[in-house]
Order: sequence, then structure tokens, then C-alpha cells
Amino acid sequence: MDHRTPGQSPDVPTVSVHFVNNVLAAAASYIEEDPDTARDVLAELGSFLSHRLRGPRTVSPAEELDHVGVYLRLEQARFPGRIEVELPTVSELPSTPVGAGEIQAPLSEAVSRWMGAHTGQVRVALRAREDALDLQLDRPDAPGEAGERLRIPWGLAAAGRVA
Amino acid sequence: MTSGLAILAVDDEPRALTDIKRLLETSASVERVATATSAKEALVYLSGGRYDALFLDVAMPEIEGMALARLLRRFADPPAVVFLTGHPDAAVEAFEVQALDFLVKPVTRERLEAALGRVEQHVRGAEAAKTAPSGDGAESPAAGPDVVAVDNPKGGGKRLVRLETISFAQANGDYARIVCEDGRFLLRTPLSQLEKDWAATGFARVHRAYLVNLKHAVELRAQLNGTAVLIMRDDTEIPVARRNVAALRRRLHA
Repeated sequence: MDHRTPGQSPDVPTVSVHFVNNVLAAAASYIEEDPDTARDVLAELGSFLSHRLRGPRTVSPAEELDHVGVYLRLEQARFPGRIEVELPTVSELPSTPVGAGEIQAPLSEAVSRWMGAHTGQVRVALRAREDALDLQLDRPDAPGEAGERLRIPWGLAAAGRVA
Repeated sequence: MTSGLAILAVDDEPRALTDIKRLLETSASVERVATATSAKEALVYLSGGRYDALFLDVAMPEIEGMALARLLRRFADPPAVVFLTGHPDAAVEAFEVQALDFLVKPVTRERLEAALGRVEQHVRGAEAAKTAPSGDGAESPAAGPDVVAVDNPKGGGKRLVRLETISFAQANGDYARIVCEDGRFLLRTPLSQLEKDWAATGFARVHRAYLVNLKHAVELRAQLNGTAVLIMRDDTEIPVARRNVAALRRRLHA
């Protein structure tokens, strides 16, 4: 079924099978020693997938920000103690709707790339600009070291400017 | 194998490592489990002790699992490798490095036990090969792979071919041309290596340029000059070198 309506995003970023399988493996690892955490991880994964598998649509800034938070908590469950997170508040975000997953998907790619290339801790900082979000990845234990920066434009897919 | 298996599990994701460790430790066929969170740490473990198999994550920082598996193939007596991954698409590459199995996370108990069964079979075969008399051309009992990744001429990717479907391999420089039920493919492995890798699965080197799946042979036809021709199911005639005729006849009649 096509959920699209005129003006909605033509594409929804795909969910990484690798990510989902690894989150499930992390959840499985908690089942015996910490069932509450296992349940929380599964519930968060359910929330993550619900946001992304409901077809192409636009969502409010608060919903997408919540989705980003869910994603980062799942990464923290996979890598306990390795990921520090700094997110903007809803009031700091642009007020226009955004495609579901439009902010989380590029952030996820950057985090995966970083985790695949580095060991140790990482700080993930997402900061609001007028029409974009700035993502900064760096090592909190290496001040002064250049990290990775990425500007994520806000609402491009929602505005129909992304094919 | 005198007791249970010794397994080294390697994964940079601590929770995934915890999960596979618990599964392995509660398997009746496993005696000892060590864990490493990187390929470098795994190499330290391997230099200090003997492991029957590595359960190895594919995607890791610095040295990836696939690179470690390739490195292990240079060892004189390498442990078996079972890959763990969240990427089902990595299977083709895994078979290229002769991995014994390929498990997608999270791993089910049933699938894990099947992989451990293959490891046990592999270990028993390797031990039998060490104690068996050599030089008579007898088939090694060591378990080999049952799938091989070949170059796919359509699209340039890789294609998995089951060994049982291969009729024969023909030397082609450093490559081997594989003739199987699905067609002809190139494999970037010399025939001499394939001879070793596939010995346990019923293949025999009958000629400098030919490695044959004996399960596909239907007739050995002697020639006047002391050589022979092996007739395959599809009527292909494979030349048999004079020095291989007697051993081949024994194997076919065994």
C-alpha cells in the first residue's frame, strides 16, 4: 500500500538490517542478567521500526527528534558506556515538518561509519541551526582532535526537493 | 578431539559478545570459551593457546573479521572460522575465505548447534588426517566447504555454487574454470589449492589440468597408451594421466 500523498517525501531512507539484527543480539544478551533492560531495548526497537515502517510521510520535529533519541539509545545498548549524546531541544528545531527518518538516517550512517573505524568513546552532538542540524562526532578523551562534522539539511525530502 | 571444543569468540560489540559467549558456554559440545573484542586481541589469544574454532564478527574496527580470517589461512594449522554478522549479504565473501559456517545475529540455539556440529566434524577430520598414512592418494576425511564463491560473468558479482553440483575444475593459469550444473565459472584459486580444499568432498586430481568430482563420473575408459579417459554424467571426457590411472581405478571400485 502506498501511503504517499501529494507533497510527501517520495523516499523513505531504508532501515539497516545490520543495525536491527545487532540490536536484537544486544537485547538477547540482556534477557538472563537484566530482563528489564532487555524489555526496554525491544520496546525501543519497536518504536524505532514503527516510526520507519509506516511508509513515506512527514512528521513533526518533535517526532523526528524522539526517533533520533530512540536510535541513539539503541546504539548505547549495543555499546554500553561508549556513546555520549547531546541533542537539541524541540524548541530549538526548525518548526517545519520533516520526512520520517530524514534526520536519523544520515546521523545513523555517520555514527556507524565512526564506530566501524574507531575504538573507544565517541561523543555525538546534534546542534540546531536555522535550516539544518550540525552533527559533530569526536572523542571526548581526545580534546583538540578533529572529529567528523556533517550538516544535515532540514526538511528537504518533506519539501519534495530530494528525489 | 579428546574432549569438548575450545572456542574463541570475537566481536567488538560487547553485548553481542556476551550473548554468543552464553550460548556457547551452555552448549554440550563446548568445553572452553574465550572472548576478544578485536582482531588484535584475538591474535594474542591465538598465539597463546589452541582453539578449535573462531566465532568471528565480520564488521570490526581496525582489522575486520574477514581480514583476520584471511590472515588465519596462512597459519599451518588454522582454527575453523564461523562468521557472525548482522549483514546476511556478507555470506559470499565468507565462503571465499573458506569459512565453515555463517551465522546471522541474533543466533538461534538450533543454528548455533548446527555450526558447532560442523566444527566438530572439521576437527575430527583434521585429527584423522594427521594420523592417517599418506601417499596412497586416499581421500582425506577432513570436512571441507560445501559451497564455493565463483566469479559471476553476469553482472560481475559473486555466485555461490554447491560443490556437489560441480562436475570438474580445469586449470586456467592461476585460475580454475569450474564446470557445474549451472554453467561454467572462473574461480580465482589455483587447481592445486582446490585439490587440497575439496579432497574431503569427493574430488580427485586425475590430470595436471583436471580436478574431478568422482560422484559425477560414470565410466573409466582405458586407452592403449596407458592413460585413460573418465566419462562424466554429461558425456564430457576428462583425460586421466597415466600415473593416476591405478589409484583412480581403486577409488572408483572402493
